[in-house]
Amino acid sequence: MISNSFMSDRNILSVPPKIIPDLLFTEKAFDNYKSVFVHYNFGRYTLNSLWVCTLAALGQIIVCSLAGFALALMDFKGKQLTFSLLLLTLMIPVQVTIIPEYYIFMKLQWMDTYLPLLIPSFLAGAFGTFMLKEFFAQVPRPLFDAGIIDGVSSDQMFLRIYLPQATSPIATLFIIAFMNNWNDLLRPMLYISKRDMYLVTVALSQFQNQYGVRWNLLLAGSVLSVIPLIAVFAFSQRYIIESTMSSGIKG
Amino acid sequence: MTQTPFRWHRRITPWLFILPTIIGLVVFRLIPIVSSFYLSFTEWNLLRQPAFIGVGNYRELIQSGEFTTVALNTVQFSLLYVVGSMVLGLALAVLIDVQIKGISFYRAAIYLPVVTSAVAVGIVWNWILGPTYGLVSNMIEAVGLSAPYWLSDPKLALNTVATLQVWKMSGYYMIIFLAGLQTINREVLESARIDGANALQSFFSITLPMMMPTFFFVLTITIIDSFKNFELIYAMTKGGPQNASNTLVYDVYLNAFVFYRVGYASAIAYILLLFVGALTIFNFFIKKYFVYSLD
Repeated sequence: MISNSFMSDRNILSVPPKIIPDLLFTEKAFDNYKSVFVHYNFGRYTLNSLWVCTLAALGQIIVCSLAGFALALMDFKGKQLTFSLLLLTLMIPVQVTIIPEYYIFMKLQWMDTYLPLLIPSFLAGAFGTFMLKEFFAQVPRPLFDAGIIDGVSSDQMFLRIYLPQATSPIATLFIIAFMNNWNDLLRPMLYISKRDMYLVTVALSQFQNQYGVRWNLLLAGSVLSVIPLIAVFAFSQRYIIESTMSSGIKG
Repeated sequence: MTQTPFRWHRRITPWLFILPTIIGLVVFRLIPIVSSFYLSFTEWNLLRQPAFIGVGNYRELIQSGEFTTVALNTVQFSLLYVVGSMVLGLALAVLIDVQIKGISFYRAAIYLPVVTSAVAVGIVWNWILGPTYGLVSNMIEAVGLSAPYWLSDPKLALNTVATLQVWKMSGYYMIIFLAGLQTINREVLESARIDGANALQSFFSITLPMMMPTFFFVLTITIIDSFKNFELIYAMTKGGPQNASNTLVYDVYLNAFVFYRVGYASAIAYILLLFVGALTIFNFFIKKYFVYSLD
């Protein structure tokens, strides 16, 4: 199986491989990892990534659930327009808008802060808005009616009635947003130039540029950079796969 | 969708709810799209004032053979990606749509590359395909043949990267196809089997037509995703050798942030936008022809 080849690569790394004799894995099994951690600061980069991605994902949840709720249940002028624009921007690759975005952040003097990584992720989560809108629209109607009869205000309706229903899509959105941010390369590469602020993907690609031939260290770094993702995936596998399936059905 | 028969909220409330999204939409999407359009008619290096040069950038684009290569590469990459990942995704979905023990393990294993970062995937595959130490080259040489230079041969580089992108992402489409497969009424398949249809016949005349909505949903997504190739190209080939694996998406980055030719890069970005727009419209119309209404 193709993807097993991917996993066995991982396995090849942790033990000295016997399949290819001309590889120079003479160190002990975990020495590569140790040197990646100690000499190349990967621990720090991983923490940076964890911090930024968690924050970005939380922000995206707040913004998307608010917008999704408004789009699903409230009436206002321009609702259709907003929604169609959101859907349209889903299709546009980030490279189309990155130049003006870069200029905005340059003028704001936000270079070498995490703000340029967080703010676009907070505010432009079209996919999450779409997903939560679909979810909120399917919450059983009697719940809404009961809320109306009890005379709740709109923020209570959102916070007390609808939001608690949405734990599963919110968990999914958290994971997807976390992974997207973790795997993003372009923005962290453009906006962060201070070495100790690097995120792990950028660190890894810089590492590749500098030590391109030291495969053992490079591969150890790659493994380290995906371990948090695989951990998240392992715990949330069911959520991700099921939500992909259910959003797929709608077409 | 729920229709609200009377106004249960103040007029201002939805605007407050949606304000952050609208700010994001305007500041990070609409304004950049409009200003890119202007910038594409200028010469600019991010530091001085942009200088208006009319259609100069576009003229240069059309005249430079380099851009033609990049545009054709983009078409080739997208085509390979869309066709490859749809075929592989559907095939995997059909294969995995069985009730055997441990099937969820296989599903997760195939899905795993989807969640790993493209940079890590790129590095691992660089190693596997590398000329001296690589696993694949060693295996091919062990059989006595000479291994091709997967990433440094201009004829192969783009195809290699596209294939790996297909490999990385097809787990995702598999899951969506799987969802589509499971909505098909089993009784129809059952009665076809009783009528003597073989597996191939029932796949092509029942499963596939009934999968059309899913099919076009996946088509839309693969088209969108086929432009998300920056990370893998950066990690594997950096667009080389001699632009052989350079695509529009990567070219925007290269011109804007490596060569600081921002106006020129904006023109490329606009052509990219036109590409995406044209494909979206094409997809929208072709869908009308092919999707049977099942309601």
